[in-house]
Amino acid sequence: MTHPLQDLMRDSLDHCVKCTICETYCPVAAATPLFPGPKYVGPQAERFRGIGPEADRSLDYCSSCGICTQVCPQGVHIAEINNQARAALAQDRGVSVRDKLIARPTVAGWMGAPVAPIANWTTSFGPFRVLLEKVLRIHRHAPLPKWAGRTFQNRTRSRRRAPNVRAPERQVVFFHGCAANFYEPDTAAHAIAVLEHNGLEVIVPKQGCCGLPLQSNGLYDDARAYVRKLVAQLAPYARAGHDIVATSTSCGLMLKREAREILGMDDDDLRVVSEHLYDICEYLVMLDDRGDLRTDMQPVEMTVPYHAPCQQRGHGIGTPALELMALIPGLEARQLDSVCCGVAGTYGMKVEKYDIAMEVGRGLFEQVRASGAELSVCDSETCRWQIAAATDRPSVHPVEILYRAYGLG
Amino acid sequence: MISDTQAATECAEESAILRRIAAESIEDTGGLFVTTPADDPAYADRFFAGCRATGVAVQEITVGAALAREPRINPGISRAFEVEDASIDAWTLLWGNARSAQEHGATILSYHWVTEVLRDGDRVVGALARDDRSHEDVRIEAGFVINAGGVWAGEIADMARCPGITVVPGKGIMIAMNHRLVSTVVNRCEHPADGDIIVPSHSVCIIGTTDVKVDSPDDLSISPGEVQQMLDAGEVIVPGFRQARALHVWTGARPLFKDTHSDEHGEDTHHMSRGLALVDHLSHDGVSGFLTITGGKLTTYRLMAETVVDAMCAQMGAARTCTTASEPLPGSQAGNYYWLGSRLAAQEEAMADDQLVCECELIPRRRLLEVARRRPGMNLDDVRRVLRLGMGPCQGGFCTYRATGILHGLGDAEVGRADELLLTFLQHRWLGLEPILYGDQMRQACLDDWIFQGTLDVEHLPVAVPA
Amino acid sequence: MTRVVVIGAGLAGLVAALHLAEDGARVTVVAKGAGSLHLSPGTIDVLGYAPERVESPREAMAGFVASRPEHPYAHLADAINDALAWFVACVPRMRFVGDGEENLLLPTAVGVPRHTAFAPASMAAADLRAGGRFVAVGLSGLKDFFPRLLAENLMRAGLPGVSVSVRHAEIAASPRPGVADVAGQVYARALDEPAFRVAFAAALKAVIEPGETIVIPAVLGLAKADEVWDEMQERLGAPIAEIPTVPPSVPGMRLQRELNAALSRAGVRTILGPEAVGYQSDAGRVSHVSVREAARTRHLPADAVVLATGGFAAGGIELDSYGALHEKVFDLPVVGPPEGTPRLSARHLDHQPLMASGVAVDGACRPVGPDGNVVWPNLHAAGAGIAGAEPWREKSGEGIAIAAGYRAARAILEET
Repeated sequence: MTHPLQDLMRDSLDHCVKCTICETYCPVAAATPLFPGPKYVGPQAERFRGIGPEADRSLDYCSSCGICTQVCPQGVHIAEINNQARAALAQDRGVSVRDKLIARPTVAGWMGAPVAPIANWTTSFGPFRVLLEKVLRIHRHAPLPKWAGRTFQNRTRSRRRAPNVRAPERQVVFFHGCAANFYEPDTAAHAIAVLEHNGLEVIVPKQGCCGLPLQSNGLYDDARAYVRKLVAQLAPYARAGHDIVATSTSCGLMLKREAREILGMDDDDLRVVSEHLYDICEYLVMLDDRGDLRTDMQPVEMTVPYHAPCQQRGHGIGTPALELMALIPGLEARQLDSVCCGVAGTYGMKVEKYDIAMEVGRGLFEQVRASGAELSVCDSETCRWQIAAATDRPSVHPVEILYRAYGLG
Repeated sequence: MISDTQAATECAEESAILRRIAAESIEDTGGLFVTTPADDPAYADRFFAGCRATGVAVQEITVGAALAREPRINPGISRAFEVEDASIDAWTLLWGNARSAQEHGATILSYHWVTEVLRDGDRVVGALARDDRSHEDVRIEAGFVINAGGVWAGEIADMARCPGITVVPGKGIMIAMNHRLVSTVVNRCEHPADGDIIVPSHSVCIIGTTDVKVDSPDDLSISPGEVQQMLDAGEVIVPGFRQARALHVWTGARPLFKDTHSDEHGEDTHHMSRGLALVDHLSHDGVSGFLTITGGKLTTYRLMAETVVDAMCAQMGAARTCTTASEPLPGSQAGNYYWLGSRLAAQEEAMADDQLVCECELIPRRRLLEVARRRPGMNLDDVRRVLRLGMGPCQGGFCTYRATGILHGLGDAEVGRADELLLTFLQHRWLGLEPILYGDQMRQACLDDWIFQGTLDVEHLPVAVPA
Repeated sequence: MTRVVVIGAGLAGLVAALHLAEDGARVTVVAKGAGSLHLSPGTIDVLGYAPERVESPREAMAGFVASRPEHPYAHLADAINDALAWFVACVPRMRFVGDGEENLLLPTAVGVPRHTAFAPASMAAADLRAGGRFVAVGLSGLKDFFPRLLAENLMRAGLPGVSVSVRHAEIAASPRPGVADVAGQVYARALDEPAFRVAFAAALKAVIEPGETIVIPAVLGLAKADEVWDEMQERLGAPIAEIPTVPPSVPGMRLQRELNAALSRAGVRTILGPEAVGYQSDAGRVSHVSVREAARTRHLPADAVVLATGGFAAGGIELDSYGALHEKVFDLPVVGPPEGTPRLSARHLDHQPLMASGVAVDGACRPVGPDGNVVWPNLHAAGAGIAGAEPWREKSGEGIAIAAGYRAARAILEET
């Protein structure tokens, strides 16, 4: 399959001057010699690919964090090249049952949600986790979220309104992602409360999975099908002029960028959705820039460590969470200077990658612990689960801090 | 192909032989002939008929099928033909032949300039040569001398006092592009012209070529006009070619044989219609023990050798059967064609055990050491011609210093020579960079300048900067 | 509050951003990547060759500028001393040694004595002006350092009036035993942790002789480089000097860290990823910088703009396949070699006129057109995109970047 955009990604290897800056930033190459680095597996190895059997091995250790693309001063789409090469590898060699399973959060979500207490007991039950490791090769200590029982979709049925074409600027569409649906409905509910506090009407249409885990596990065709279905659900709102706000920074990035740049998709629904899609912190800062953000915040006397996760950085919007938290009296948010927590979606769950992921995140965990703060702040759900498990204290979405400052709960 | 049916048939036969004896240097890419919007649409039918007439396997495919096979080629093509074709690596082929010759007892003196062809009456009995590195003269006495001097064949024949052999150098430039824009040998279906072919080769693809008659075989200049002509031609075959990254440009010279002696006297040269020319100086000049073989092309190099050696045997009265058509070259015995992924596969295998010296072309330290031990005293261009050192995107930006340090550390080059190796290699890389310096390669050249001049300050090494 | 958009995150852009933010401007740095400081040797070159060896950049500057009126320094000469003094104070943990008065003379990795104006203390210990006995020590896992080549070239360098002797040695201590290819930054991160320092120091101890200065590749720590260098010298009882390697460069990474920290303290907003692709104007001034984000183009409001996208190397100036020169964001006029004069020399190490292409500026670092008129009154340029220099030949890169970034910032602060 060839696509002009995919070619664009691959052809960006022409910009590589071998400077190795990507490798100085790569968190995985810093943690393990098994991964020779993004330049090596990316623009360098790509010149030797395309004909005959796939020669790669080390490529599998790339976690898809995407930092290489972000830092490359020459404009090489390193992470995208690597992602596409890994998908070719998966096609060549097959995808394991485990990867197929963890790539479908909705499957696990629906299996666990109705029987949440039992499901949560089993996944926290040591012997079951050993079994899970043996059978499915999911590491016994990998952080797994807790099922919430009733899904967020179920809780918000009343918000499934049609787009209001006459006053779209007073309405926003909320794109919650699978994690909020099955595991963190409260975060999503608090995000809605913050938006409503700012005078916005929040619509929560029926929506599915963005396909990101499928993509990161090399299952591109399935991922494309998920994206198509999801953007068809969201596109009518975008066409009516509604902005779409996401709390899941990685799912938001999938719709903004990765579906086009990695999966090579190019359809009208996707385009209009991505043009209207905002990360929630990005959106709130934009309100603030316009003078539309309420600043009636109560003091939150706390110093919190903040981690801007890799997928958030992929948005290329700076660190709006820090700008928002700077508005809260009493609060001091300190950005950690570690680049990655290691988990990278599903990477750190895998038995052969778990130790690497923990080594990648080691510096971050040490900084969080050393801060002495009662919690840490991070935009991405899988990163929060990883950081919380590794530091023995909660890690929350920035919108939770805002929710508290607004006195909403 | 249409112009010379016998040559086409011979080419096809030789290609089949090379696939058997030199698999290591061949990649079975297949070939495409496409009629681009810039080509004469009437040519395609003549091309097809010509192929059929000469028994060259050809199949017309749909434009859609051609674009599916090579997605980057011009979507405006109107016709497409698939042919059997392959990409051949001249250096690998050369090393294979050299090793084979050595195994059969040959001594190879590279870097030796022939300064005199020795005569004893009407017989040629050897040659004098000057060692370019030691500056010493070497006298080689021989029962027979074969002049296979390519574009210099006329000069060598003159040294043997066999005048009238004129070899006109047909200079052509080729540009290597940073990665494979095509995986098939893609030709324009048009009268053979400048810039009508893109050949995938190792990690790059090469567009060729111009054809300019020049006075001297040593004229390797590259004019801006020729470069622009190639880029325009590339744009016709692969739209966007000008935005793609050019890595390096070089010239070669085809030996175009012109026998002024026989033009004057009418007959006594045995012309061979295949474009290769054997000159029997016994009949030509009354000189025995001396044959010139020239003309030809890479694909027929073996046939040229067979032809000239058979003629030598005939003159010497030795009945020996040629075996080169059936004996695989060293490295090609297993019969496996070159595979683009082979270096990556090898590097992945050895990752923990070795250091990558040239990252672009994936050359580990071990390979460099092997080559250095086998052939002491090499310069970095020699290493390049064996291993492709410095032939990738950074054009020596990262590997030159490493390779120099390794050869010096081995004791293969004392410090003054090591400095000279480094500066000479950079200078030689520059010659092929300067004419195509634009876009991404300009960025690379600046980074390389930052490395060598900015960080290492190599321009102040205590050696004379090479000319 | 003045809103300034700085385009580019290289040294010039970061210097401008930091100086502006420290003086109260609201600064947004936008860059498509992280800048190339990780390639920098971590020294501050001001002027090393003009074209003869320069002993004192401060003394040589007036003459240099007089003979090279097209050179960036012609506009920056009176800012450079203030700029350097300010910059060195901004990054105290780099421990820069030097005064801009006299150049230091430090060995490069290939063994050439090289002039630079300021160097971290961890490098200045190899200053050759005093001569001395050195042992160059390589690391078996690091492929970018050849102590024997360094030593033998340095012995041949023929420095007048000083005695230099250099031995070479190699140690096997590695943060990744059993792995043949270990990058400099891997050594550096390992040395940030006390455990590896012990093994590393022990290995060094075994190869040194009393009275020698140890010369090693620059890998002595990243986040804690100052601490690592102190501890190593203490453990070994001998001076240690780092030599910058070919990229990536650990000292460059340290400088990036220190600058990032300073920017963060000063409240600079940094947006990495989106490429600046154009601008909007209003009433004869640049009003917005347009950046291409993942899914849409965003227009960042700006009262003033610093263009620090670099020259050819960083892509701020582009040479197309027809030989035409372009400035990528504002389509500014680019000054190249005059029509009819040679662009490039066939000799690699000669002066290459084309390499000095860039935008011409006025005394406030504002790009000017061929007529000498300012293109936009609130647009300033800084760094390698300014025409007239071949910094790698002159050993002037950091000096130009710092002075131009500082001057651009001052000009904006003074206007508003």
